[in-house]
Amino acid sequence: MSQASAIRRRSRTGDTRAALLFLLPFSVLALVFILYPVVQALYMGFFDWDLLTQRAQNFGLQNYVTMLGGHGFVWSATHMLTWRVPLLVVAAVVAVGALRGRGRPLRAGVVVLLLLGLVVALGFHPGPQGSWNDPRFWAALQHTIEFTVISTPLLLALGLAMALAVNRPGRAASWYRGAFFLPYVLPVSVVTLIWIYLYNPSRGLFASVTSAFGVEPIDYLNSSALAIPAVVLTTVWWTVGFNMVLFVAGLQDIEPSLYEAASLDGAGRVQSFLNITLPGLRRVMLLVLVTQVVASFQVFGQIYLMTRGGPGDSSLVLIQHIYQSGIRDSDLGYASAMSIVLLVLILAVSLVQLRFFKEDDA
Amino acid sequence: MSTAPAPTITERTTREDATPRRSRTARRFTIGASMLHLFLGVAAIVWLVPVIWMFVLATSDNDLLQLDSQTLLPQGFTLQNLIGELSNSELPRWFLNSLIVTGVTTIGTVVCSAMAGYAFGRLDFRFKEPLFIVTLAGLMVPREAMFIPLYLMFSSAGQLNTYPAMFLPRIALPLGVFIMTQFFRAVPRELEEAARIDGAGHRRIFTRIMLPLARPAIAALAIFAFVQSWNDYLWPLVVATQPDYYTLTVGLAQQQASFEAARSLGDLMSRGVIGSLPLIVVFLLFQRQLVRGISLASGEK
Repeated sequence: MSQASAIRRRSRTGDTRAALLFLLPFSVLALVFILYPVVQALYMGFFDWDLLTQRAQNFGLQNYVTMLGGHGFVWSATHMLTWRVPLLVVAAVVAVGALRGRGRPLRAGVVVLLLLGLVVALGFHPGPQGSWNDPRFWAALQHTIEFTVISTPLLLALGLAMALAVNRPGRAASWYRGAFFLPYVLPVSVVTLIWIYLYNPSRGLFASVTSAFGVEPIDYLNSSALAIPAVVLTTVWWTVGFNMVLFVAGLQDIEPSLYEAASLDGAGRVQSFLNITLPGLRRVMLLVLVTQVVASFQVFGQIYLMTRGGPGDSSLVLIQHIYQSGIRDSDLGYASAMSIVLLVLILAVSLVQLRFFKEDDA
Repeated sequence: MSTAPAPTITERTTREDATPRRSRTARRFTIGASMLHLFLGVAAIVWLVPVIWMFVLATSDNDLLQLDSQTLLPQGFTLQNLIGELSNSELPRWFLNSLIVTGVTTIGTVVCSAMAGYAFGRLDFRFKEPLFIVTLAGLMVPREAMFIPLYLMFSSAGQLNTYPAMFLPRIALPLGVFIMTQFFRAVPRELEEAARIDGAGHRRIFTRIMLPLARPAIAALAIFAFVQSWNDYLWPLVVATQPDYYTLTVGLAQQQASFEAARSLGDLMSRGVIGSLPLIVVFLLFQRQLVRGISLASGEK
């Protein structure tokens, strides 16, 4: 028996104890500060749990009823059309794709049915005599989803475009990378400080640029239609550099020989991009997409600091509603229940994304 | 990254175009390339305009800014705002708070991630795969959103307005473990085998061989954790109820709302400069490590 294999055997039996030791600090902290809060929030969500008295009363589902319930519902075909029409289009695309024999027909059928169900469900809303138990929750949910749906494609597409532009050797390119990445290191309060004044109609640079084109200055942050898009623009400026760096790393992992082979076969730039670059970036794309969506659903700082959720509640998001219900209004049980709903939403969306990408691999 | 870029399409075309036969295409490519550089240069400057504007306003006279702030030239250049804000009673205290919280968080994150990464990357033990998958699943837990139970935990222990309350929940970072695992997995076996024959245990191998090897990954992770922690907003906002325990990020945010702030734009932007200067310095010094760290995170999954 050789010495090396004896050592290996000894080390294998000794590894478990060593591993326990090495994993200890991380696992203890992760259990206490990542896993336990999730369990605790799930538990607290079933109680009327007041922050000041610190007492848990009335075990039950009342928090979820308050959050999700309402009365006096009616159904109309035109309610929330801006959401339902795109969903219908997606359902149609999936259906047509399945009929042409792409993907698994059974799964496509389920997806189409779920989408159609959602389109029908979105037609329900409280009628003239009815109301949601907590209209602010629905407003916050709607704005959170809107923020995510608007910002994610922008952050993905612009990040990729920037990566393609700056992924070249040389000093200049590294300067561009630095410039595009720099805003990412700024604290949220500094970012919002700058942008609140950039958007200011009488003192900001935006107003002076738009008035040069003869457009009256607009108070973006005090407009219920423009507040969220304005915050999205700020967010893109602040964080897109991070995605750019991820995409640059992904681009550099692609085998250069693939491009050579393609150009020998007479493939153009567009074809190379579609057939080599995009498939090669699949993993990074997935990473960016998942982290982006997890982060967007938890958006808080920049919106809270720039608009306080206003004007009215027109840019209220879920985390702000949780923060105000729990800390300001002392209703820890209700805030926990909303955290759990947010967690479920994020997990569901992440898993759908993972699933979708995996299926494409096969 | 900037020192050893992988070959790209551009690099290859320029190499091919260097042959005299293709001089015409070469010229077209050079014009195209300089157009691209012009475009990127302008885009990069425009991208930085908000930051430049902050510096300009911070070094402008407050009263002159009342007349005109829509400019990229300092109005009556002065350092008075910056000096005034630095001698302000609260800013230095918040700066110190941020430094302590960020310092402990960064060191803790690096130590915990490196240790766990060594276990996942180099050791054989039961339930290794499931444990690693659970750790990866931790990436999907919205940590920001779970502040209510954490708040209850610290408030019922009477630990609000303390430093541990601010850094303890931020140390365990699944992404950090992932980065370090990726790194340790790639270390060749021979390096370790030699030490093992000499009778070194895991602790020795970890501290004497693995940690020195992992210096680039550790630097990257440390900078990443530093930026994240310095910029953390929601958790310190929740857990620090007294201004004495605000971090700089929270403190700056609290001051934005006040009315007199709106009248002294120069002072306000000076606070922004002071709050972001440490990060800009860190960024300029360690740009390469930071970029590499983020790239490591994008590695194989």
